[in-house]
Amino acid sequence: MLAYRGGDAGAFETLYVRHRARLFRFVLRSIRPRAAAEEIYQEVWMRVIEARGRYEPQARFTTWLYTIAHRLVVDHWRRGALSVVSLDSVELESNSPDPARHAEARQSLRKFALAVEALPQAQRETFLLHEEGGLTAAEIAAATGCGEEAAKSRLRYAMAKLRAAVDDG
Amino acid sequence: MAENERDPKVSRRYRELGAEEPPRALDEAVLAASRRAAELHPAPLVPPTGRRRWYFPVAAAAVIVLSVAVTWHMREEQPDPEGAPFYEPPRVAMQADDAKEAKPPVASPRDERAELRAAPAAPAPAAKPAPDGRAMGNIMARAQPPEKQLERIAELRRAGRHEEADRLLAEFRKRYPHYRVSEEMLGKIERK
Repeated sequence: MLAYRGGDAGAFETLYVRHRARLFRFVLRSIRPRAAAEEIYQEVWMRVIEARGRYEPQARFTTWLYTIAHRLVVDHWRRGALSVVSLDSVELESNSPDPARHAEARQSLRKFALAVEALPQAQRETFLLHEEGGLTAAEIAAATGCGEEAAKSRLRYAMAKLRAAVDDG
Repeated sequence: MAENERDPKVSRRYRELGAEEPPRALDEAVLAASRRAAELHPAPLVPPTGRRRWYFPVAAAAVIVLSVAVTWHMREEQPDPEGAPFYEPPRVAMQADDAKEAKPPVASPRDERAELRAAPAAPAPAAKPAPDGRAMGNIMARAQPPEKQLERIAELRRAGRHEEADRLLAEFRKRYPHYRVSEEMLGKIERK
């Protein structure tokens, strides 16, 4: 990011390639419809570009990136927009030749997706920051503005519910 | 810690939900914007805020302190007139002359300066007495440009200190054998 701030466009490309897919999924699974998610995803990167002059390496770039994403997602929620995970794109990748087992696996995955969707917003966001962003509890706390203990607690609750969904499935 | 909360089963199941990626058009739009920003507009400069607010005052103070220190150091290091080769007296002649004045041998103009500095601070040992006022005056005279040295000789002459004047004049002639002394000045510096 410092290289990009210095005018190296290639440095931004490297960062973008590294974070694009995970950030996209974080936004996509926080916001519906998909068009809104795409809009916010693009907005996150525009904010990064605009803020390059103010960037200081006080934390990992990832934390900074997801802090921006968190703010935009929360703004979206505050505007009253839907904030549920879209299950439209859930595609089961199964090599099982048995149709019955394939259907069973698909059903199991749908249950898990529903469990993710059913998580309270804060817990779901914490879980997504952890899974997609690879953020620690401290980094999640920094990105979302909550205390570290709160971040740990949210993650613990989310994990317990999702673990139960996996076991049930 | 969050790391302890990681559950491989949950992570694996979560990954099975899919690995969606942004559409290519979105990638291109973002990258194009980043290139435009990098090429057309330099990163906006922002004044330092928060914890960086002290950078400028501290940097300014450091520059001032450094400037003063360098200036002081340069003044200290300036070669003094005694060290200038133009005024350097022949070593043998100096020793001979100074011996007459019961003054310790003067090896070079540098030593003279050291002597001048050391004399007031600590009494020199008996073998090396500190220069008296007269000798000091002569040392100072030798450190001056030729015109000033002539004036000094003329002063000594007027004051009736002929021996001293003779010695300085002889020394002057040794040091500046080709120096043209005006008739008027000659009248003042030569013994009548």
